[in-house]
Amino acid sequence: MQLEKHNKTPNLKALLTTATCALLGSATNSASAQDNWELDTALMYYGESDRVTAIEAIIAGQKTYDNDEVLSLKLTLDSLTGASANGAVAQPQAQTFTRPSGNGSYTENAGKTPLDDTFKDTRLQLTGQWTQPLTYAEFEDYTLSIGGNVSKEYDYLSVSINGNLARDLNNKNTTLSAGLAYSFDKIEPEGGIPKPLATMVIGDNDSETFEQAFEQTRIRADDDKKTLDLLLGLTQVINRRMIVQLNYSYSSVDGYTTDPFKVISVVDSEGYTQRYLYENRPNERVKHAFFGQAKYHFESTILDASYRFMTDDWEIDSHTIDLRYYIPLSRGHYIEPHVRYYTQSAAEFYQPFLIQGQVTPTYVSADYRIGDMNAYTLGIKYGMPLNSGDRLAFRVEYYKQSPKSNGTNAIGVLNDVELYEEINAVIAQITYSF
Amino acid sequence: MNQNTSQRTVICTTRDGGYSLTFEAMASPCEVLLDHTDKERAIAIGDAVATEAWRIEDKYSRYKSDSVCGQLNANAGQQCAIDQETFQLLQFAQQCYDISEGLFDITSGILRKAWHFDGSENIPTQTSIDSLMPLIGWQRVTFNSEQYKMLAGMEIDFGGIGKEYAVDKALMLARELTDAPMLINFGGDIAVSGPRAENTPWIIGIEHPSFDEAHVVYVKITHGAIATSGDAKRFLQVGNKRYGHVLNVKTGWPVENPPSSITIAAPKCVQAGILATLALLQGENAESYLAMADIQHWIIK
Repeated sequence: MQLEKHNKTPNLKALLTTATCALLGSATNSASAQDNWELDTALMYYGESDRVTAIEAIIAGQKTYDNDEVLSLKLTLDSLTGASANGAVAQPQAQTFTRPSGNGSYTENAGKTPLDDTFKDTRLQLTGQWTQPLTYAEFEDYTLSIGGNVSKEYDYLSVSINGNLARDLNNKNTTLSAGLAYSFDKIEPEGGIPKPLATMVIGDNDSETFEQAFEQTRIRADDDKKTLDLLLGLTQVINRRMIVQLNYSYSSVDGYTTDPFKVISVVDSEGYTQRYLYENRPNERVKHAFFGQAKYHFESTILDASYRFMTDDWEIDSHTIDLRYYIPLSRGHYIEPHVRYYTQSAAEFYQPFLIQGQVTPTYVSADYRIGDMNAYTLGIKYGMPLNSGDRLAFRVEYYKQSPKSNGTNAIGVLNDVELYEEINAVIAQITYSF
Repeated sequence: MNQNTSQRTVICTTRDGGYSLTFEAMASPCEVLLDHTDKERAIAIGDAVATEAWRIEDKYSRYKSDSVCGQLNANAGQQCAIDQETFQLLQFAQQCYDISEGLFDITSGILRKAWHFDGSENIPTQTSIDSLMPLIGWQRVTFNSEQYKMLAGMEIDFGGIGKEYAVDKALMLARELTDAPMLINFGGDIAVSGPRAENTPWIIGIEHPSFDEAHVVYVKITHGAIATSGDAKRFLQVGNKRYGHVLNVKTGWPVENPPSSITIAAPKCVQAGILATLALLQGENAESYLAMADIQHWIIK
């Protein structure tokens, strides 16, 4: 008897915890079921020095139903204004470009990286997701989630659907998940889709000969692409302080991946620009991404560290390291410093410029976003509960993007201009949750 | 009109760091200590907590004939319909019965008919105890999520879990209303929402319930709950032998030499309450029982 008791008492706490969860835990559920939506609203400002400015407003809602079904909806409105690099190299003299629409032109000053100032758009995006535990006895450890997304801007439409199945194992200490997503994107740029590698027509935009010549550089009004994503995930509770997540994702894009607003300069042997060609990218792209994340709960602080490696058949390899450190202060206030480092290698068809007389490759782009680059983000978030029970948070971040040479030697006058201009941006966000 | 009902008011007073809301419920003084600067808000939270305490009192008090408990007792022997909350409480009682190997039993209150702990010498006869024993035993109860039935003559009482349950429920309710640090105390059963400002703990004094000395043990908590069990004032004395009020449900007689008082810390008040009761039932072995199960406790012998 004594021995038996000895064996049983250590379980006392655990048994009682289970019993209490049943008593109070389910009471919590039935109480929260009467709750209304949990809403998050956020207003974000993103500003690059001399380039793009974006304002984004988000309203996101989540509602949990009686049997742990969760419906989440999110509406995002972005407004972009400003200028973005068009791909051409800077020159010792001013350069004039025809606008992508064919209506008018814009001029960039000598020595400056050419920016297309017609960059202006408003995007509306609606996302919905439904998640529920499966109720059939043999599938009680499974959770199913399905969702969809529609995003519309002036010349772009994107729709997608996704499904995910997760299974809890090992007392919910392990979760395996598999997901599938399919998206369809359609682009309908004003002025139509440019003919790949055609020379930009520059001249008197109002003349009939210009219009005819411009039409020659257009192939159709719109184009589209389809993307299939597969995701496999493993989440593992290591101990009561640490949780680890590992993901693998596969993404296959089929269709129009070219940026219709980007060009590449063709320069002579002294580096002077002779003409601009519309860029051209392959119709397929296959990406593999590996993601690992660990969260560690110290006495009061939480460290969230993640690493992502992405590789694709365009030969872009990227590495991202992201660190966040949650530090609670008194009365529910907290700060969260954030550091992110990103580095990528260029796509195989990336060139800062082409040289006249040399063979033009089938695929070529001077878009710095697929060139070699490093990027850093430094930021801090400050959050606080309000007496009403609502939560307020502020985030400020500094972002620096440094494009690098892919090994191409600058020639002639290009030695005197900045081919790989840095971008500095400030991000500020206010989030209010109630 | 019940006398208790007429006294249902919440009194708000200022205290260091915020407000104190006091009221009477479940035959105990109750209080909410709230570190909040807004008086109107404090009063609203105090009202919500008191309303929940009174709701649970009205529903589960064995002294009220129209309560769920009173109705189940009045209709012993018959099948009675129960609601979800009652089912959850009965299930919890069932699990505590299992965990304690039958020592914790909400049908044992009927032994009060034999034992009157009034400080006198009137210990009951074995015959009177024996006559009650067939009416005790959770194994004689059947219930599911819809219905409850026990033998005619049996009684249940939620005395061992009701007040602690009310503390946990009231705290859950209040936390939906505010993030401000708060302590809820229903007659010594206490739960806190978290630490006070600058991560400082709440300091709670536990009075020794005996006649002679009134030394106080101070307990610091930042999270969770504490509950105290034991009452040295309730006993019978025959010669040198003192019979404490903690009864062993299996024999119908008092547990020998239980501590005067046991205070337990646990994440939830119901857990602390059950553990305090279970430890008292171990009598002399209370301390080693708690130590072995690795439970934070304060014992007054």
